[in-house]
Amino acid sequence: MIARIEGPEKVSGSARYACDVRLPGQLYARVLRSPLPHARILRVDTTRAERLPGVHAVLSSANAPAISWYEESWLFDRTVRFAGDEVAAVAAASEEIAEDALRLIEVDYEALAFASGLDDGARGEPALKCRGDAERALREAEVVLEQTYSTQAALHNALEPHGCTAAWEGETLVLHESTQGIFAVRSEVAEKLGLPEARVRVITQHMGGGFGAKQIAWKHSVIAALLAKRAGRPVQLILDREAENLAVGHRNATRQHVRLGARRDGTLTAIAVHALVQAGAYLPGGEDSDVVGTYHTLYRCPNVRTEQVVVRTNTGPAVAFRAPGHAEATFALESAMDELARALAMDPVELRLRNYASEHQEKGKPYTSPESLRRCYELVRSALRPGGAAAPGSATKRRGIGFAAHDWAGGGGWPPGQARVEREGEDRARVITATQDIGTGTRTALVQIAAEALGLPPERVSITLGDTKEALYSPTSAGSATLATLGPAVRRAALAAKEHGAGQGERGENRKDRAIRTCGAQAVEVEVDTETGEVRVLRVAAAHDCGRIINPALVESQVIGGITQGLGYALSEERILDRARGLVLNANLEEYKVQTAADLAELINATASLPDWEANETGAKGIGEPPIIPTAAALANAIFDALGVRIRDLPCKRERLLSS
Amino acid sequence: MKPFAYHRPASLEEAIALLGGAAQPLAGGTDLVPLMKAQLLAPERVVAIRALLPEGVRHEAQGVTIGAATTLNDIEGDALVRQRYTALAQAAGLAATAQLRNVATLGGNLLQRPRCWYFRDARVHCWLKGGEQCQAREGENRQHAVFGASPCVSVHPSDLAPALLAFEAAVRLRGPRGERAVALEEFFRLPEAHRRSASTLGQGELLLEATLASHPPETRSVYLKAMDRQAFSFALAGVAAVLRVSARRRIDHARLVLGGVAPIPWRAHAAERALLGGELAAPLIEQAARAACEGAEPLALNGFKVRLVRALVKRALHALDEARGPQ
Repeated sequence: MIARIEGPEKVSGSARYACDVRLPGQLYARVLRSPLPHARILRVDTTRAERLPGVHAVLSSANAPAISWYEESWLFDRTVRFAGDEVAAVAAASEEIAEDALRLIEVDYEALAFASGLDDGARGEPALKCRGDAERALREAEVVLEQTYSTQAALHNALEPHGCTAAWEGETLVLHESTQGIFAVRSEVAEKLGLPEARVRVITQHMGGGFGAKQIAWKHSVIAALLAKRAGRPVQLILDREAENLAVGHRNATRQHVRLGARRDGTLTAIAVHALVQAGAYLPGGEDSDVVGTYHTLYRCPNVRTEQVVVRTNTGPAVAFRAPGHAEATFALESAMDELARALAMDPVELRLRNYASEHQEKGKPYTSPESLRRCYELVRSALRPGGAAAPGSATKRRGIGFAAHDWAGGGGWPPGQARVEREGEDRARVITATQDIGTGTRTALVQIAAEALGLPPERVSITLGDTKEALYSPTSAGSATLATLGPAVRRAALAAKEHGAGQGERGENRKDRAIRTCGAQAVEVEVDTETGEVRVLRVAAAHDCGRIINPALVESQVIGGITQGLGYALSEERILDRARGLVLNANLEEYKVQTAADLAELINATASLPDWEANETGAKGIGEPPIIPTAAALANAIFDALGVRIRDLPCKRERLLSS
Repeated sequence: MKPFAYHRPASLEEAIALLGGAAQPLAGGTDLVPLMKAQLLAPERVVAIRALLPEGVRHEAQGVTIGAATTLNDIEGDALVRQRYTALAQAAGLAATAQLRNVATLGGNLLQRPRCWYFRDARVHCWLKGGEQCQAREGENRQHAVFGASPCVSVHPSDLAPALLAFEAAVRLRGPRGERAVALEEFFRLPEAHRRSASTLGQGELLLEATLASHPPETRSVYLKAMDRQAFSFALAGVAAVLRVSARRRIDHARLVLGGVAPIPWRAHAAERALLGGELAAPLIEQAARAACEGAEPLALNGFKVRLVRALVKRALHALDEARGPQ
């Protein structure tokens, strides 16, 4: 195992992020955002802002080019559809001057009616997915469990906000961007600006987290490019925390009505789900939030019927957030499975084993590693025994253990993906890719794969990535796919280089007769204070199938990060919206409560290396998203185990415990 | 942030002269700067006072005096404060984060503005900012007041204030018309239409120091706080309890002050009365915990705070009972 290659740069502060870029003559931009959730702009007057000394360029619907955005909207639209929607932008000699200039922009709004939640939003057409006859199976089932679960809007809050530095080098736009997909940004920005892709270069050397919210091009990149063009100077546009929490995505709120039909022995005969999914004002693209997917795959069941209904509201747009859809659905499905186990007086793991799925039922294909989920159950079970005796609490403190499983459609990787490897003398080599390292340690893992194929120690192998000028295509880092996509390409390039001194590798196709999944399980132990409603997480055990583990420390980092974020989702994180005004009240890190170091439990990472050679020739799969998926359900199940109180609405705030 | 003039006066007199009108004093800046960034305050002059204010903890025969410029970390770390004014040290240690406690001062902590998200949102013209009505009363009021119904339902955010009140602290103030000392309990007042603030600090007046009287060695105190996470959160509810119990468990002195539940630190008078003269044991503790909730008027989303108060008061009293050691 080797330590992170970029570790010393990060620790010493020399790693350069998008906001660290300083170019000669660089300006700083700020964006004016709508204070209303829905309004027509009657007038924008930027005259006073333009006159402020230090202001170099101002954009608004009054002067911006007509660039279409989202579905049927514009870069600067005359209608704003959520509080935080872009109204105007200023580039100035300093951020402070830009801020001052924003205050000088006069806007007259005509307020329009708005919707703020799942109940008052406009509902889209239901997306129906069926296998077998769930309604009939439910009528005939020996046991039926029917419950409604809800999940909240959660904010990504990556440490590094969205942003870029845009510079024109002649007719070529260079974007230093904080993104999970440099090629996605290149093609989207080129299209919006009417440029050939070859005239846009996107660079991402380091990233302070994205969690899904940085897998598409957002407006700021094009705004910065336009301002830079007008001003004739480079422009840096970094979002502040409030904008970050209003305008560039969040995990959608859901309400899921779940019906499970089963035989008395626990065999599932029917799963029927109706899911409302709050999308917000726009559908920005990127990975879909497939809330119903896992209901079709996690358990063997002949009759499954799911309906997913997207609800549009005047709130910021939802976007992919670490295992989009699955984290929300797994809370509901795995809570329901726990309820079913209780109703049948079955051990929760036994119930899951009774319904074990070793093939992808919709595709009718066996999984490449059909037994790995079973293995994860065993690993978690022996690390933290569910059903075993919890240590006794005091008179007002009760302990409980909860269990939850998950699967995930991502992690398997797919073509295309390209890499080059060049030998440098007898005992050195260089890997050249154009993927991005979004903070997960992609550099390190790819170097290890190359070194292994070359037969060199990893410290003799260097790597270049994060720049579209390398003409080697890499996909967006989403779906936990980077390692499983690029790893095989790097391996092939390395094998070729070993033979010929240099070589290029392409990611091959996945097997057509198999389905790839990642999956896992977690158990959470809590101590609940019956008088104050406080929930303390004591221990979390996790085992996830990520195939062969290339670097245990990097895998463990993802497990720790995912669980920590999962505990926040379960306990304390929630976007609070004032429904009467359509305003987010906690678009900041004070009132949006991410977990702190003091909240962290003992984490037992029981993840084992489970090489999946049928998935790809490296045997490795992704681990980025999975660890967040089962945490909330396992925690809610632990609360039930402790108190006999079932929490069906996230987050598990103390008032929900005290009112039960 | 609106441009402002930054002044570093050489003396308190000079500072006070500068503070009239559109000026704000700056010490730790942990509340002032965010208020300015949010455009809730747009002073023309920012007057640096930190270097002019008394700083540090001074122990004397008649009690302890804490300078307004003393950081929360220094209060928490003072050995004698920890021993004699335990609740105060605990309250300081549970506030904010270590980084904030390193710069935040006692004076600023007592005078900080509410964390109410309607108050902190420049787009909302709430009653406390001179508006017609309180938006929290019918809005998202989970974190708001259950006591002290006033036109504003924000809560006083300080952890230290309940502890200081429980020790019957007084503050020394200095303004254009000279110095005055006032009991902290008088200093905090429910906001009213003509004074939309939780304190009676006058125009141009500065808080110089807080004084806590000495007390018999058998006095025990504790501060307990319920938060939405284990650190970096204002109190959903807090309780500072100061108790003196005679050899036969008789309660000779009791002060209970709640934080995070009213626009000002909230004395639980009924609970104190229930305790005085009684025997510190489970039945009386239960009775006092119930009494602490008397008069509570929860809003739609914060009924749980009443249960929290009851639980925290009960725990605080049990903790003080145990702290007395075996009899």
